[in-house]
Amino acid sequence: MLSIENVTKRYEGHTAVDDFSLTIEPGVIYGLLGPNGAGKTTTIRMAMGIIQPDEGKIEIFGEPLSESLKERIGYLPEERGLYRKMKILDHIIFLAEIKGLSSKTAAERAGRWLERVDLAGWEDKPVEALSKGMQQKIQFVSTIIHEPQMVILDEPFAGLDPINTQLLKDIIVEMKDEGCTVILSTHLMEQVEKLCERICLINRGRKVLEGGLADIKMRFSKNVVSMRFSGDARELEAHPDVEKVSEFGQDLSVTLAEGADPGVMLRHALDGGRVDRFEIGEMSLHDIFIAQVREEGGELDEEDADSGQA
Amino acid sequence: MKKMLIVVRREYLDRVKKKSFLIGTILGPILMGLLIFAPALLFKLSPETQTTITVIDLAGDVYAQMETSLADTLDDGTPKFIIREVEVDVTGLEEAKRVLNLEVENDAIDGYVVIPADIPDEGKAVFYGKRIGDIKTLERIERALSNVVIGMRLFSRGLDYSEVKGLVKGVDLETMQVTDKGAEKRGGFDFIFMSSLLFIMMLYMTILMWGVAVQRSIIEEKNNRVIEVLLSSLRPEDLLFGKIFGVGAVGLTQYAIWGLFGTIMTAYGLTMGGPVAELAGNLSFATLGFFILYYVLGFLFYATMFAGIGSVCNTDQEAQQMQTPIVLCLVFTILVPMMVIQRPDSLFATVISLVPFFTPIVMFMRINVLMPPAWQIALSVVIMILAIRFAGKLSARIFRTGILMYGKKPDAREILKWLKRA
Repeated sequence: MLSIENVTKRYEGHTAVDDFSLTIEPGVIYGLLGPNGAGKTTTIRMAMGIIQPDEGKIEIFGEPLSESLKERIGYLPEERGLYRKMKILDHIIFLAEIKGLSSKTAAERAGRWLERVDLAGWEDKPVEALSKGMQQKIQFVSTIIHEPQMVILDEPFAGLDPINTQLLKDIIVEMKDEGCTVILSTHLMEQVEKLCERICLINRGRKVLEGGLADIKMRFSKNVVSMRFSGDARELEAHPDVEKVSEFGQDLSVTLAEGADPGVMLRHALDGGRVDRFEIGEMSLHDIFIAQVREEGGELDEEDADSGQA
Repeated sequence: MKKMLIVVRREYLDRVKKKSFLIGTILGPILMGLLIFAPALLFKLSPETQTTITVIDLAGDVYAQMETSLADTLDDGTPKFIIREVEVDVTGLEEAKRVLNLEVENDAIDGYVVIPADIPDEGKAVFYGKRIGDIKTLERIERALSNVVIGMRLFSRGLDYSEVKGLVKGVDLETMQVTDKGAEKRGGFDFIFMSSLLFIMMLYMTILMWGVAVQRSIIEEKNNRVIEVLLSSLRPEDLLFGKIFGVGAVGLTQYAIWGLFGTIMTAYGLTMGGPVAELAGNLSFATLGFFILYYVLGFLFYATMFAGIGSVCNTDQEAQQMQTPIVLCLVFTILVPMMVIQRPDSLFATVISLVPFFTPIVMFMRINVLMPPAWQIALSVVIMILAIRFAGKLSARIFRTGILMYGKKPDAREILKWLKRA
């Protein structure tokens, strides 16, 4: 669907994207994650042909980007705006028309979408009459109105309240179910981690980690289980898979042996008493990001290391 | 191409729908019309009223002739001047003036004239009145008095006034322009100069106005951040030229409206006579055709350059500094009309009318004054088209890079780099 091969983009004084490669298979929601300034937006801009890479090759749908290909892609840039004086319906139709839609089709779909995002009745209002969040919904609608096969969303939820964020997430999942490939780029890793099937973590223009979200989570899941258990904790500790049990009243923190399956331990615990809560200690994407960067000896911007759940 | 047309339509409708376009288009010719017609109209409208004056004629023999001379009538047939004489001699003058001043004060009379005894020699008289700003009336009185006094002087030397008047009558030099086909065309220097100037000013103003409008629109595009969305759908060139053509079409629309307005005015003007009729009668469709042609060429050339400037600036203020050299080129062309009008076929005029920066205005001016050879006109069009393509290419390169640069304005070296790279 999208393949980026050894792409490099240099600006005066720094390298924004450094020998970066990526392949995105069709029909997934793909997360392009990393802190501000990691090179996400530059990568996307190169993919959309807005800027040219200094080195490397980018192909979409198996061919280099061309004008006709652009009509099969939807792009919500990070730097986005609307013509302030234009009427909302006219604006959506204009953006749809330059994606190759006829004005009639565009008007029909625009009506449906405005209803979907709770903006029915605003058709003839000028853009400037809308709040920022509302404008953002218009931009989102304009990005997908031509029913693209691939959408690239750069920080799609920035500035949205939780309700509207959920609305957009629902639409994104629907699109994926209909076969659209969605590429989500954001620095808010936690916000999208439940949405993405595959992710790529970027830092300083280089790939840190890539793969299926579940695999990555598994790989980085800590071997610690926290549980509420009424039974004999010492008996649990005797189990060969268990290395150590720390007791906090009924709450236990169980450290498993290297490579042990938490499921086996759970079954064992259920034999010996009641389990009210069982949670495998999962590392957040942000922690995984930091751990991986550190492990590779890479540099980390101070604020990323500190900010935790930024 | 299709996408460019969508941009053209958006830019066009966006401007034409604006109230400011409507106001500018309607108010423009109205203001111009007012400037042309207002003085005549005001002159006509200001109601002439009767003027009551009193004359103190110390010379003794001036009053009678002055009264005859001032026998004008108003539109309704009543006399314009109600004039009477107060007979006093020098000793009673102060007393008489005191009385008359009171009458002026009470608006019983509009004023009074004191004619001194030595008026034939000195040629001086005094008008006393409240409304001394009524120049028309005062001039009329002055003329009447002058005629009387001149007549008296001539008479004293044994000459007849009307005879002398006939003798000193001047000569009017009428000008007929001999055109290409040996035909004679009425129309003097005044007409050619005035009509050329009018057209040149219009070309200059509209090219500048709509050229800067393109530049503005590009700066606006950078600030409203729509650009990246657009670039994911179309090529930068589609956007750049869509904007230029869209704005240019707005200018043409404005001309069309003015043309319609002008036709109506001309029809009215022809029946009215006077300079408007002369101007209208001398206009040919060929002139209008050339006018539109050189507007389109001039606009495309200048707008393309203004667009390039807009691409590297973030605010109108920044752009104003950078556009100065280009505006100066345009200003230069409206500074040369005298030279070109006097010698439209000179080497200077010919060369300068084939330099792209000056062609639109100077070549049009030459056509208006003295039709240049057809090959020169054709050459000017070819040169303009090449220049537009060249400027378009440069602008597109600057545009492609500059449009995504926010913040710092690039310096000349950087812009050169963009030009080379693309």
